[in-house]
Amino acid sequence: MATVTFEKAERRYPGAPTAAVRGIDLTIEDGEFMVLVGPSGCGKSTTLRMLAGLEEVTSGRILIGDRDVTNAPPRDRDIAMVFQSYALYPHMSVFENMEYSLKIAKVSKEERERRVKAAAALLGLADYLDRKPKALSGGQRQRVAMGRAIVREPQVFCMDEPLSNLDAKMRVQTRTDIAKLQADLGATTVYVTHDQVEAMTMGDRVAVMNEGELQQVAAPMELYRRPANLFVAGFIGSPQMNLLPATVTGGSVRLGEYALPLTAPALAKLPRDLTVGLRPEAFQVVPDGGLLLDVVVVEHLGSDSYAHGTVTLGDGTAGEGTLGEGTRNLVVRVPSRQEVAKGDRLRVAVDGGDIHLFDTVTGLRLDV
Amino acid sequence: MRTSRARTVALAAGAYLVAIVFLLPYVEMVITAGRTKSELLDANYFPKHFTFSNFTSLWSADGLGGNIWVSLRVAGGATLLALLVAIPAGYYTARHRFRGRTAFLLVVLATQMFQPAAMLVGLQREFVNFNLPSATVSLIIVNAGFNLAFAIWILNAFFSSIPVELEEAAQVDGLSRIGALVRITLPLAAPGIVTALIFTFITAWNEFLVALTLSLGSPPGDRPLTVAIDGYVGQYSTDWGHLFAGGLVATVPVIILFALIERRVVTGLTAGAVK
Repeated sequence: MATVTFEKAERRYPGAPTAAVRGIDLTIEDGEFMVLVGPSGCGKSTTLRMLAGLEEVTSGRILIGDRDVTNAPPRDRDIAMVFQSYALYPHMSVFENMEYSLKIAKVSKEERERRVKAAAALLGLADYLDRKPKALSGGQRQRVAMGRAIVREPQVFCMDEPLSNLDAKMRVQTRTDIAKLQADLGATTVYVTHDQVEAMTMGDRVAVMNEGELQQVAAPMELYRRPANLFVAGFIGSPQMNLLPATVTGGSVRLGEYALPLTAPALAKLPRDLTVGLRPEAFQVVPDGGLLLDVVVVEHLGSDSYAHGTVTLGDGTAGEGTLGEGTRNLVVRVPSRQEVAKGDRLRVAVDGGDIHLFDTVTGLRLDV
Repeated sequence: MRTSRARTVALAAGAYLVAIVFLLPYVEMVITAGRTKSELLDANYFPKHFTFSNFTSLWSADGLGGNIWVSLRVAGGATLLALLVAIPAGYYTARHRFRGRTAFLLVVLATQMFQPAAMLVGLQREFVNFNLPSATVSLIIVNAGFNLAFAIWILNAFFSSIPVELEEAAQVDGLSRIGALVRITLPLAAPGIVTALIFTFITAWNEFLVALTLSLGSPPGDRPLTVAIDGYVGQYSTDWGHLFAGGLVATVPVIILFALIERRVVTGLTAGAVK
């Protein structure tokens, strides 16, 4: 196993105005499960492919352990990759698929058989070794792809959205299986996904990317509790964080008329235009004061419900989307014992939850 | 129920009729090849005596074996040359988006639209000027050229249908880029390669017009089979027995090839199109 280091690694496609991956610096520790997450086209898959040697590194360096692999072909990097489409060789049986890399590496037949059988037992594939990939279900194919990676005992596992072709139930199951497997093997793993739930549940650390740049690299709960900027704040968490325009007046941070319960000595140093980030669980329903929420949709999840609605801040700013002036969308978590229905008007106030402040211009987090 | 049965019968009858129309010339060929000279102009459709003398003398007196060998070299050489060019061309156009890619493929297709007869004089002059060593070499080049377009297009469709991830997985597994192409992609493209191979071989084997033009100055033994068979049609008389016996001999390899790979060709022609 080994560490993985990106040093100002950049990928620029010929003729493209901007780089797909813009000089990222990232160190992944030995045995760490690192998840790269971001929206489509953010450069996360490209970053992984750069590590695998399938994408050219235009500038910067990539190291596996102490070895500079920037220009090394994939076969010289001692990595294994699980593809989104699994990329199983259709003309080979499950056994042949799994042993192929060992065969190329001229590992003895006995050793190949031992390793493939061990991996197959681990993944519950022992009964399918003679089958061709087309005779397997999606979940089984996914496990063969995993098995193919495991038998190599590589320094680094690269996984490119390996769960996205599975149905929802299978995905949750396999998610835990992969996390457990990784912990057992202790292999350095770089895992790409666009699903922030996957990122939060699987990764030791999560690297959030957007437009080819790293936004924040941190442990899942750190990302949730202290998002570094507006992008991370909006991306991590489901339902996503409410981001509302606020002003600093009269020694307090205000959403329209509502003054947030925030007392800090540095309040005076804050810029005038702020964006306040409030997670749905930061709110409580209150008898008076707070914000007036017009409930549009209620999502019942069993233990909790999410009330989606609009609030009018009356701050003269343009409305969100098609909403009127100063009107914003707001999502609030309410306990399921509290009856809320579409069309209700609720008074909600921040009570005890984290209040995140961001500079509207730079998008960066403001710590007070 | 009744109408559907009648319909089936009618359809089958129609199919047999069409089959007979297409098969009759072959039947005629077999029958005439087996007639003795004296029976040749008899009114009987089926000969009283079936003779193999037309076949045996093809080899002994006329040395048709030499012509078959020339045809085999021409068709085999043209097929090899066409595939050597078409596999890399089909692969590259399938895997890379480069400037002028579509134009390249269209130009390749356009070469298929010229009537070979229209190019005869040009080809003849070209090869005389190049002073090529033999008609066989010239015919290999011309036939390879004629069949390149089809081969490139069908291989392009095939390579496009093979996910690029398979090659990437093979590279991660330890193969070089060329290794991944040879050991993973080519075996998967085998139906397409076989289709292109058979098509090119049969077309080159059957080609007559250019073969006649370019082998005109060669000794009779160095001419392809199609030209040699044509030699039985004389200015004043036609040797029908040998003409048909020769025709039958020329048809056999084509039938064998088709019988061997018929199923493959069908997958080959459709697999690339619909994934």
